[in-house]
Amino acid sequence: MKKWLASLMTLFLLLGVLSACGPKESSSGETGNNGSKETKPEKLVIWEDKDKGAGLKPAIEKFEKKYGIKVEYKEMPMLDQQDKLRLDGPAGKGPDVITTPHDRVGPLVTEGLIAPLDISSDVTGKFTDSSIAALTFKGKLYGLPKSTETPVFIYNKKFMKKAPETLDEVYKMAKGNNSGAQYGFLANWTDFYFAYGIIAGYGGYVFKDNNGTLDPKDVGLNNEGAVKGLDFITKWYKEGLFPKGVVGEKAGQTIDGLFTEGKVASLMNGPWSFQPYKDAKVDIGIAPMPKLPNGEYVKTFIGVKGWNVSSFSKNKKWATKLVEFITNEESAKIRFEKTQEIPPVKSLMNDPIIADNEGAKAVAIQSERGIPMPNIPEMAEVWKPVANALQLAATGKQSSNKALDDAVKSIKENIEAKHSGK
Amino acid sequence: MKMKQAKWIRLSFTYLILCVAALIVIYPLLWVVGSSLNPGNSLTSSTIIPEHATFSHYKELFTKTEYVTWYWNTLKICVCTMSLSVIFIGLTAYAFSRYRFVGRKNGLMLFLILQMVPQFVAILAIYILANLVGLLDTHLALILVYVGGLIPMNTWLAKGYYDTIPKELDESARIDGAGHLVIFFKIILPLSKPILAVIALFSFISPFADFILASILLRSDEKQTLAVGLFNMVSDEFGNQFTLFAAGSVLIAIPIAILFIALQRYFVSGLTAGGTKG
Amino acid sequence: MEAVPQNIKSAQNKSFHYQSNHRKTAVILSIIPGLGQLYHKQWVKGILFLTLTASYVAVFSNLLNMGLWGIVTLGTELPRDHSIFLLVEGIIALIVITIGVAFYAFNLYDAYQTGKKRDAGMRPCTLREQYQHTIDKGFPYLLVTPGFFLLIFVVIFPILFMVFLAFTNYDLYHSPPAKLVDWVGFQNFIDMFKLDIWRETFVSVFSWTIIWTFTATTLQIAVGIGLAVMMNQKDVKLKGLFRTILILPWAVPAFVSILVFSGMFNDSFGAINHDVLAFFGVKDIPWLTDPFWTKVALIFIQTWLGFPFVMAMTTGVLQSIPNELYEAATIDGATSWDKFRTITLPMVLYSTAPILITQYTFNFNNFNVIYLFNSGGPAVASQNAGGTDILISWIYQMTMTSAQYSKAAAVTVVLSIIVILVALFNFRRTKAFKDEGKV
Repeated sequence: MKKWLASLMTLFLLLGVLSACGPKESSSGETGNNGSKETKPEKLVIWEDKDKGAGLKPAIEKFEKKYGIKVEYKEMPMLDQQDKLRLDGPAGKGPDVITTPHDRVGPLVTEGLIAPLDISSDVTGKFTDSSIAALTFKGKLYGLPKSTETPVFIYNKKFMKKAPETLDEVYKMAKGNNSGAQYGFLANWTDFYFAYGIIAGYGGYVFKDNNGTLDPKDVGLNNEGAVKGLDFITKWYKEGLFPKGVVGEKAGQTIDGLFTEGKVASLMNGPWSFQPYKDAKVDIGIAPMPKLPNGEYVKTFIGVKGWNVSSFSKNKKWATKLVEFITNEESAKIRFEKTQEIPPVKSLMNDPIIADNEGAKAVAIQSERGIPMPNIPEMAEVWKPVANALQLAATGKQSSNKALDDAVKSIKENIEAKHSGK
Repeated sequence: MKMKQAKWIRLSFTYLILCVAALIVIYPLLWVVGSSLNPGNSLTSSTIIPEHATFSHYKELFTKTEYVTWYWNTLKICVCTMSLSVIFIGLTAYAFSRYRFVGRKNGLMLFLILQMVPQFVAILAIYILANLVGLLDTHLALILVYVGGLIPMNTWLAKGYYDTIPKELDESARIDGAGHLVIFFKIILPLSKPILAVIALFSFISPFADFILASILLRSDEKQTLAVGLFNMVSDEFGNQFTLFAAGSVLIAIPIAILFIALQRYFVSGLTAGGTKG
Repeated sequence: MEAVPQNIKSAQNKSFHYQSNHRKTAVILSIIPGLGQLYHKQWVKGILFLTLTASYVAVFSNLLNMGLWGIVTLGTELPRDHSIFLLVEGIIALIVITIGVAFYAFNLYDAYQTGKKRDAGMRPCTLREQYQHTIDKGFPYLLVTPGFFLLIFVVIFPILFMVFLAFTNYDLYHSPPAKLVDWVGFQNFIDMFKLDIWRETFVSVFSWTIIWTFTATTLQIAVGIGLAVMMNQKDVKLKGLFRTILILPWAVPAFVSILVFSGMFNDSFGAINHDVLAFFGVKDIPWLTDPFWTKVALIFIQTWLGFPFVMAMTTGVLQSIPNELYEAATIDGATSWDKFRTITLPMVLYSTAPILITQYTFNFNNFNVIYLFNSGGPAVASQNAGGTDILISWIYQMTMTSAQYSKAAAVTVVLSIIVILVALFNFRRTKAFKDEGKV
């Protein structure tokens, strides 16, 4: 009898499948609407980063006035925006424009969540080349830059009159303990984001850059330069200049804490930390990173936050216009004034508003020396293995050489396993 | 004489162990309280007895963050989760304990199995489902998910407890003409107060501890729960606010601890009162 | 619906002759639910069944149509079809169908049973009798239904989704709206064992997962029971105070405690090295940078977090153990230890065994404590996982870096099956379970 029931069930399923002929109408008609005939929409929706709305509001007010299109904005953490777009987009509730850090561009394009932009070169020419390159994926531009950031050298004026020229000087000061602080210099160098500048300064690279396209098969993190760079990094840990407590995932928080308590003379951190440090009543000075012992600059990772147009947007043309408008020189300047985010707009770099601002100037200069974080999806496989290598070398469990070889092997295997043949 | 000595040794040993255990339990907790009173921002400067104790972090919670909103949201969710769970679990366990019906054993087994499946991939499904039925970013969705998740484990607990209430009580009531529901409300319910109190407590605290589901199902800031808000304070790599987090945690822990203490007698005198004695 | 086979079988075994054949007629009529009942002149029931059927068809036909089409094809056209949404609708359709089939089977069963009664010369139940009958037989179902319904959508549905996902190729490169997702059969499961990077690290991660599960759980149970027993000795004073203090770890949300511990265990600045160990004159221990010590710390933390629950439960059981047992043992000259070993411990373990087993399975998948304490770190040479990564946290880290949802689902399915099998094997040996077997 049980069998009888089972066969009844199967019959039901079969009937269901047969009768299930799916959606009746095809969608071929509605896909081709992104041509030039796009009508002017009533409103556009834009998602802004958390707590940064003040930098956007004046620009959209002007945009509304000029074009008569209402613009609605909402603040949301950047990574949430992607998660939300993934589900709200298909449901037709998504925004027209979102903001993302540029290293997410590759994955977002691969998923089909953001659309390429058709923007003339007079517009793109106004931004620094590296910031435009950062938002370009497989030869197409997917956004316009909103702001740029990169780690710089921050010092406590109580212990240091001015920033040293070279890291050798910093090293001597830390070694000799003559700054008066418990630690002369701290950096979160077991985090690849911060360590990259050193490794790249010595000649290491993540993916080979072939005229603007990154080659995920050519990983340069265990070449001679990279090993030298890691040797330089491990020196600080081995000699006890960096304590054991600033190794690993939580190191950044610990360093921050020590600095705000006035136990650290100088450190390496990004522009997001300026305000918290000032709030903690530390009298900070900011400068580009001091030079490496080999005379090279520290080639820090540059992060570019961009505005991207959702591929679900029904008004891509107007959304692009909005993106152009809110990144133009005037809007960018207002953004800097309101949020202290530094727009990579060439003309603003020499504008007194930035040139006279110690922090902004340092970030701007350091950005010219840095390299945009790779924006291809393969980058996701890099962070963890390299962080492991950094930690193992820093705690003396492996030589720099071996640690990096292992990391590169692991990166290549992961890329092969997860990103091949697609 | 020898017996007295043995007893003395046993008792001192017991007190020693209990005191050590109590110390180990209390130390981290006192440390959290200490941190919350520390003037600095971070973990590293925190000490258990702060030099310049200050309530500024508590003040900051109420003035600079949405703490009050989060607290209110959480309480709302907790109370609803608690009431629904107690009703659902109380009834389900009653059926499993007192009735022999087809599918009973498989049902019990299913309840056990369901708790063992790790669910982090499944969260995506809950998200889409909530989105489909339009419950995304509502407290209702979160409450339903919490209640559903609480059912399996707690039904077992409650069923185990009901099993200890002698069946003779039901039977004599039935002979007196009492119906199913009358038996439940007049006999089982009064006798099972302790376990229901325990379940109520379990379900009441679960929203306080969950930051994963809540952060996924609730999107807008003003709907967030305490756990998510607090977690963000420390997970944010670039703006570490450990002391603020500590202050927020203390304000969560105190009411829950009081609740625990108030309901303690149920854990103890109640949990198996009818039990094997019956 | 599972009632059908047994009952019908028992009916067939009875060998009396029916005078009529109402059974067959009613069952055939019931192909459209309700007609069989109408044939039996059960008007209200028949009309109710008919209405239910009609509304089922009316309400769900579209969902079933789209859902089944969707779950079979996972979409055919971009950008109209979103494979993941289709999959979700498909699963819901399957759930709805299952409920429908259950109802349908009940309808046939009911028609048959009533027919049998009539054939045997009895009259069909009246509405009042029906009502009585339903209340008696159906009452437990009535009680279980609301909870079960919720369970289906909140717990079972997501699990089904995960299982289905494990057979697709949903990842970064096969992700709507850019691409459709396809069924790939067992490919993910095959890949799991084929890929070197997975296999190499697997052994070390697996062995630590097992050690972790057993040590942490056993310790939390042992400490919980031990403290409960000590505290509940008759002549111990201040029971209430101790109990109140010892239950506190349970009252504080776990993620708060774990994060606090993570700060306290910091190698250079944490309170453990700084204050506690320094107080005893012990040198700094590398809690977060040495895998061995991180493991020790994790086990300690999990014990700290988990023992109050066991303690509370044991306290309850202890108070239910009849005093006569102990008195008899005392007369026989048993020591306290003997009493603990032969009376207390077996009693406690027996009555709490199912819950204790779930403690083991919980720790096997205890992602939170591993992740929040040290993110699976510290790093270990030449392996892919961190030194304290357990299977679940390792998988999370491996798959979520590139949105490898389907692989994550596949591994989760395999893990779940292992855990469930082991747990079931143990459940079957517990007293609580055997008691259920006697039903």
